Amino acid sequence: MTPATKVKSPFTPEQEKVLEGWTKAYPYSNMGLVEALRSVQDWNRMISPEAAARVGEIFDLPFNRVWGVVNFFPTFTTKPTGKFRVGLCHGLSCFLKGSNKMESCLEKTLGVKKKEVTPDGKFSWEPMECLGACEQAPALQVNDRLQGAATEATIAKLKELK
Amino acid sequence: MTKILTKHFDEPKLHELETYKRLDGYKGLAKALTMSQADVTAEVLKSNLRGLGGAGFPTGAKWGTVPPADKVPGPRYVVVNADESEPGCYKDRVLLTRAPHQLIEGLLIASHAIGAKESFIFIRGEYQNQYDIVAKALKEADDAGLTKTCSIKLMRGAGAYISGLDTALLETMEGKKAWPRQPPPFPTVAGLMAKPTVVNNVETLSMLPFILREGGEAFAKIGSPKNGGTVVFSVSGHVEKEGIYEVPMGSKLRDVLELAGGVRKGHKLKAVIPGGTSMPPLLEKDLDLTLDFDAIRAAGTFLGAGGMIVLDETADAVEVAHNIERFLTHESCGQCTPCREGSFWSEEILERILDGKGTPEDLPNLTRMGENITGKVICALGDTVGVIARTWQQKFPEDFKKRIPHGQAS
Amino acid sequence: MAKRVKFKLNGTELEADEGRLVIDAAKDAGVEIPHYCYHPALGNPGNCRMCVVEVAGAPKPLVSCRTGVREGMDVKSDSDAIKRAQASALELHLVNHPLDCPVCDQSGECGLQDYYMKIGKYQSQVREDKQHKGKRIEAGPHVMLDQERCILCTRCTRFVDNVTKTGELGIFGRGHEERIEVTPGMTLDNAYSGNVVDICPVGALTDRDFRYKVRVWYLDKTDSVCPGCSRGCSISVHTNTIRPWHNDGKRVARLKPRLNPEVNGYWMCDDGRYGFSNLDADRLGRVLQVSPAKKDVSWETAAQAIAEKFKDQNIAIASSGMLSNEDWASLNNAFPKASLYFTAEPDQVGVEDELLRKRDKVPNLKGAENLGLKSGSFNDLEKDLEAGKIKNLYVIERDLTKVWGAQRAKTLLGKAQFTVFQGPNKGELGDHYHYRLPATAYVEEEGHFTNFNGVIQHYKKALDPIGSARPDWEIFDLLHMAMKGVPA
Repeated sequence: MTPATKVKSPFTPEQEKVLEGWTKAYPYSNMGLVEALRSVQDWNRMISPEAAARVGEIFDLPFNRVWGVVNFFPTFTTKPTGKFRVGLCHGLSCFLKGSNKMESCLEKTLGVKKKEVTPDGKFSWEPMECLGACEQAPALQVNDRLQGAATEATIAKLKELK
Repeated sequence: MTKILTKHFDEPKLHELETYKRLDGYKGLAKALTMSQADVTAEVLKSNLRGLGGAGFPTGAKWGTVPPADKVPGPRYVVVNADESEPGCYKDRVLLTRAPHQLIEGLLIASHAIGAKESFIFIRGEYQNQYDIVAKALKEADDAGLTKTCSIKLMRGAGAYISGLDTALLETMEGKKAWPRQPPPFPTVAGLMAKPTVVNNVETLSMLPFILREGGEAFAKIGSPKNGGTVVFSVSGHVEKEGIYEVPMGSKLRDVLELAGGVRKGHKLKAVIPGGTSMPPLLEKDLDLTLDFDAIRAAGTFLGAGGMIVLDETADAVEVAHNIERFLTHESCGQCTPCREGSFWSEEILERILDGKGTPEDLPNLTRMGENITGKVICALGDTVGVIARTWQQKFPEDFKKRIPHGQAS
Repeated sequence: MAKRVKFKLNGTELEADEGRLVIDAAKDAGVEIPHYCYHPALGNPGNCRMCVVEVAGAPKPLVSCRTGVREGMDVKSDSDAIKRAQASALELHLVNHPLDCPVCDQSGECGLQDYYMKIGKYQSQVREDKQHKGKRIEAGPHVMLDQERCILCTRCTRFVDNVTKTGELGIFGRGHEERIEVTPGMTLDNAYSGNVVDICPVGALTDRDFRYKVRVWYLDKTDSVCPGCSRGCSISVHTNTIRPWHNDGKRVARLKPRLNPEVNGYWMCDDGRYGFSNLDADRLGRVLQVSPAKKDVSWETAAQAIAEKFKDQNIAIASSGMLSNEDWASLNNAFPKASLYFTAEPDQVGVEDELLRKRDKVPNLKGAENLGLKSGSFNDLEKDLEAGKIKNLYVIERDLTKVWGAQRAKTLLGKAQFTVFQGPNKGELGDHYHYRLPATAYVEEEGHFTNFNGVIQHYKKALDPIGSARPDWEIFDLLHMAMKGVPA
């Protein structure tokens, strides 16, 4: 068996501390895994195999288990997202209120296709499943924060994000 | 009209401890702490409170299946399921935003009832704003010493609708993929890290302060037989006034529609999905149905989590069915073959029909496949794949037939 | 002690231990319930949904691999509803399964093919393009992965997670995007990797060694015992004699483990599984006088000549634990006064682990031990040879170049007065003995090995001997007779 990676950690000492902290946040250390991976996704806008392997070491979990979790949940990506990951809901209520049109608007405004990152690394957008804001359909989200209904105006305003 | 959860929603600072306390906040908890665990459970049983996350299981009965501490010593947990992801449902989001202390109080009552010293609120990752609000309220509660009987920890999800299913939620909390388990054992016997665990929905737990303050009987009186209290509907789609509406259990579907301003002006009602897209739709003729778990079940659909989506004549049943199957395919965990393959196949067939390349065999094929999947899978998501494949063409055959070119043999 | 309970299966009254899985209880009664994901050594995830049964009183069909027998249970596995459920579960397994049968090694022993013929036989309703995933992925040195054929039963991931605990495979993705993959940065190279091919019900994981060699329906299967180490895993030898132009003409196509709860469970190690190249290469079939001139002779002539030299009784025998119980008995009978050297050191020892592999890489040192035979060390033999003390050296089933190195072995061999070599393979020194006798390999004879724990196992004859080869014990008997002056 070839170990996945025993190279030096891809994280800074501060980041290592945060990850260690997640092993102690709950009564059992493995309960902190999803939160720890959320931290990695926040820092790097993606989770690489090396990062996942290091998280596995910190949590004393086999790599294939951690990599399985990374590839299961939509929040985690193995390819980079933009600094601002824009989500547009295409669930039923949002679909009925014209999410398709807003997808085209996003593509035009940001200048990239879905899941592609703008050249300056600032934006990526993708359709998402029900965001729980059906009364503000079609719902718009940036980095897990709801932004109200997507309209040409609110989408244009996205470009002002720093 | 009696309101329980949204009674004080005109109070803008309801989410702050001081305001909440002023409005009878934490009185239910104080009462519960003077009662024995068994008595609290009995009160909840008396109230006919049913699980408002979708399953409608009597909450008191669920608590009653937790083994007593002398038989199974060791920790036991309460987990709040705030992973609301059913399309059409957003009432938990509103409750978390406006009344976090109501939930915290309910959670502390439940924790007392089953003897939990540590409890968790699992919030879907996409509710980051709500997470911040609840975290702030939790800190207020901690500082005020309210959580001394049971500490509460927050945990965020990472997407995936399936992690809202109770056993899949526990798997996620244990740092694994959200693959549903196959009871027995049930979570109340062996749940989080194999300890007895009660998983309850946000809305369900939010009802507890009222039940403890006013008594289970008073709660049961509101509502219909065996379905106590109120229920909050998230209304969206082709209505005039989208929003949440709290009504007593047993209210008429027509009444909720009216509260939401009715179908949008100039349009005609085509269908109402009562409980979130996983549930079969109701038609205009069903408007006088009473909205409680049992009556809706008898009408062939489910109350679910009260995500009411209203469709007018501009909605096309094929597009709707495709949208829902696409959602189910995307969210299928993949563990069992019928759901994993059947959802993808259904989506593909419906897409083909949408593209005008459908064949006459497609419709009976969808029905047959739907019947073969429902009841033979690991969890309710799989069951839903089969239900959706069947019911939209059953209720709106014309929408389907008109897209299939005539005489096109396979 | 579990309680015995009565239950009904398809109308027949049966008895079983309470809690025994219905699928196992049915098998006990001779009823095979179709299944993929369940494996007695790997658990019951219940994800294939093939093994559903009707249980009276249950609202929907239950998976029999996760349902325990209870008193009075009424189970149906053959009702119309269940037959439909099985056929539809199978149909959904096949919806995206590639039509690879003509090029897939699993053909002929494939779970999908077999169940389709038994409970399927429906008309396919698929009009879509099938989903495409990775194919021809070299998962490891012995295993090929085809993600399109995979039915995601998770047997292989459970094997590498729970049996070998090495985690080289995983299921990554969600829903229909799921695939079995080699864990990034890893290779499926643990010492038991071949077992995943056995447990894979379909052609997703196939043996690279066996790839495209010969169709399984041409294979004969013989119960045998692996001679790779003193564990002596129960195996099945699969031979191809019907189509000798397949498999590069090799007769042994592959080895597979046989279930033996006492010895190896369901598994065998890769060393044993793939270590049979010496069965069809470099084989001896001629009875040969090598020196002074190479000459084919008859068994009787050779026996006479050897008996002539051996009867002055100074015989050193260098052998190994490759000999069967029958061989040891016969050897002891023929040469009771010989000095024996058969210890596994230095060249027949290797890695031992907690699963199956044992340190002694020969199957039957125990057989010698049980007869009270004692072995000297090869260091002592070397010293004696060097000092010219050895008159007759009889080497049986041992390659001396592996003991002392090729040059040294050749030199030492030259120091003995008369040397005889006996074995299935020629080896490097085969031309440096006085006489060379061909022996059968274990697949060409019948016999018994005693494993390290004292378990005696019978191995059966799978193939005919090569040329004039005979089992070792037969040759010992022949020499014994010749030394006693008994005419052939």
